[in-house]
Amino acid sequence: MIDFIYTTGWGAFIVMLMFQIPFLIVFFSIVNKKAFVDSTPGKTEASKYSSTKWAWVGLTIIAFIVVNVASIQYMPTVIEAGTGNAKEVTVEARSWAFDISDTNLRVGEPVRFSATSADTMHSFAIIHPDGQQIFTMMLMPGLETANTLVHTFTEPGEYIVRCLEYCGIAHHTMKTTLTVASN
Amino acid sequence: MSVAHRIIENTPFFGSMFRLEDNELNPINAWPALMSMTCFIWFTIAVILGWTMPAIQFLDLGSNWYYQNITLHGAAMAFPFAFQLMVAMSIHRAGGCLGKRADGPLVALFYIFMNVGGLLLTLAVLAGFHVTYTVMFPLPVVGVQTGQWDMWVLILGFTGIALVLISMILLYPIQILKMAFFDEKDENLQLAERSLNDPGMMGMVMGVLVLLVVGTPLLMVAGSLLLHLYGILPASMIGWAAKPVVFEFVFYIFAHNLMEAMALMVIGAVYATLPLCLADGARKLYSDRIAQLALWILLVTSLTSFFHHFFTMYPALPSTFAYHGNFMSYATAMGAALTIFTILATIWKHGIVASPALMLMLGGFVMYILDGVSAIVISNVAWNFKLHGTVWAGGHAMVVLIAISAIWMGMLYYHYPLMTNRIINDNLARKCIKYFFLAYIGLFYTFMAAGAAGMPRRNGAWESDWFIWGALMLVFGAGLIYAFYLYFMSLTKSRALEF
Repeated sequence: MIDFIYTTGWGAFIVMLMFQIPFLIVFFSIVNKKAFVDSTPGKTEASKYSSTKWAWVGLTIIAFIVVNVASIQYMPTVIEAGTGNAKEVTVEARSWAFDISDTNLRVGEPVRFSATSADTMHSFAIIHPDGQQIFTMMLMPGLETANTLVHTFTEPGEYIVRCLEYCGIAHHTMKTTLTVASN
Repeated sequence: MSVAHRIIENTPFFGSMFRLEDNELNPINAWPALMSMTCFIWFTIAVILGWTMPAIQFLDLGSNWYYQNITLHGAAMAFPFAFQLMVAMSIHRAGGCLGKRADGPLVALFYIFMNVGGLLLTLAVLAGFHVTYTVMFPLPVVGVQTGQWDMWVLILGFTGIALVLISMILLYPIQILKMAFFDEKDENLQLAERSLNDPGMMGMVMGVLVLLVVGTPLLMVAGSLLLHLYGILPASMIGWAAKPVVFEFVFYIFAHNLMEAMALMVIGAVYATLPLCLADGARKLYSDRIAQLALWILLVTSLTSFFHHFFTMYPALPSTFAYHGNFMSYATAMGAALTIFTILATIWKHGIVASPALMLMLGGFVMYILDGVSAIVISNVAWNFKLHGTVWAGGHAMVVLIAISAIWMGMLYYHYPLMTNRIINDNLARKCIKYFFLAYIGLFYTFMAAGAAGMPRRNGAWESDWFIWGALMLVFGAGLIYAFYLYFMSLTKSRALEF
């Protein structure tokens, strides 16, 4: 479950809803009550406001700590630090094509992508065959070192590589594929 | 009759929404009314262009149209519409609360720079300068080198952008600071006295300081490039400014904090207006101190949370800055949490009069919080690699502008009788709020779901899987257009105040 939450866009969507739905319910209940049902001043004691305030702030802090601490193991830099030898693949992006040193990869083999841009802002994004984005790297020209990211493919298939930073009038044509074979 | 007054009188349709009476309040009414009118002209164009983007894909009209419209739509929505409306409302409020004139050379210059700048940029885009609304430097220059657009188009576009930036970073903040701290008070113009300690006024002053401080480096970089393009500075003198890493960092430090400054201002606007609409007439927030604390937290944490725009640039962005940006982004939510508490506690304690002005502002606040949650989710480093570059990120930029606009449009409802001596059409306004909110919710979740599904942003050739999202965007976009039509009608069909 936690893998799904942190490794897919839909996981992020669910977490977003988990924050939004309680907010919507509480906000609309209070506004509806005090605007349309009974707009007379509330008779709540001052101490209750204070305890509600601290409970609300505490809940927010705990929720945010839990969400972020649980995400640490899914951060690309943490994954990279925990990976041993990885296959090196270099990528050079230019308007409007990618030059990738090896486009045939294997399931279960860690791959270190080192990517640069030759002209303007581009990105190197890998899209799962089901359409979801696995990761993206923003590529800024003129940097002294390449951007790096380690990824281990878990499923075979044709993965789409796409530029996601707008790079001119043929931006949408800047894509290619990677083939991931089963091990 | 002032120049602003005369322009409004001579403008068809939009002028009728803001027709002024010649009275002693003209020094605080005329320019804000002119700015409001002008921003709604831009808004009409921007909304139609926005709706045409999915339509272009359905009709297969080509990517060039798409990139042209996304550039024009984004630029018009963000600057001559949302920002100009914010300026109109804030100088009007500052004028009435501090008893200071909201006219004079700086205000006129702001109006000219913002709108002439917007027009020049529009002409450049129509001539082929398709860079979208965020300038991904060095694309404008690479575009000339690769024959995508001409050098004169680049110079025209950059001149327009420079004028807009000067109006936002220098002219507007200096005008507000001048009104807040230096200008002489005119008792006849002071309609509801407020000190700068009032959370509503405090948010405004914080916001303009942010713009001035974080925007000045961008003005220096962009100004150097423009002076080189004009042939005034040699290439050897502007090499530092032409480095992509320099331009992009000063740009995002400004662009990110521009949104945060606008957030400080809208929260200040809610803090200022909510007490005026309380059922028991208490005219005060639940706690000014908690409201001020929320603003301070938002101010401090938002300044360096801009790193989240660069999370996917490891190791160019060292991981320590990424974690810092992650933490700061989530810390902004603490300010938002305190703001939510203050607003709800005030409503609970005093009850509210459900006027269209307040309901639209509260609706806008809800939209702003919903969007804020989507923003902090994508500000987590792990999720950012999955969602950055998708419609989730593009949608966030768009819906935050809609949310902020809703709050200012609500505030305009509140200021409207004072500005024009007329009251809005209540029925149409309430209908507008309903459609506005429902269409917003539909559009917001469409963008987020499309991003979660992997639909890329700013892509001029949609693939078949994405058309379902496009269809929803068309439907909810049409709902928003209808809501905006009702908004215009609620102003057009306003009636004179009777004393």
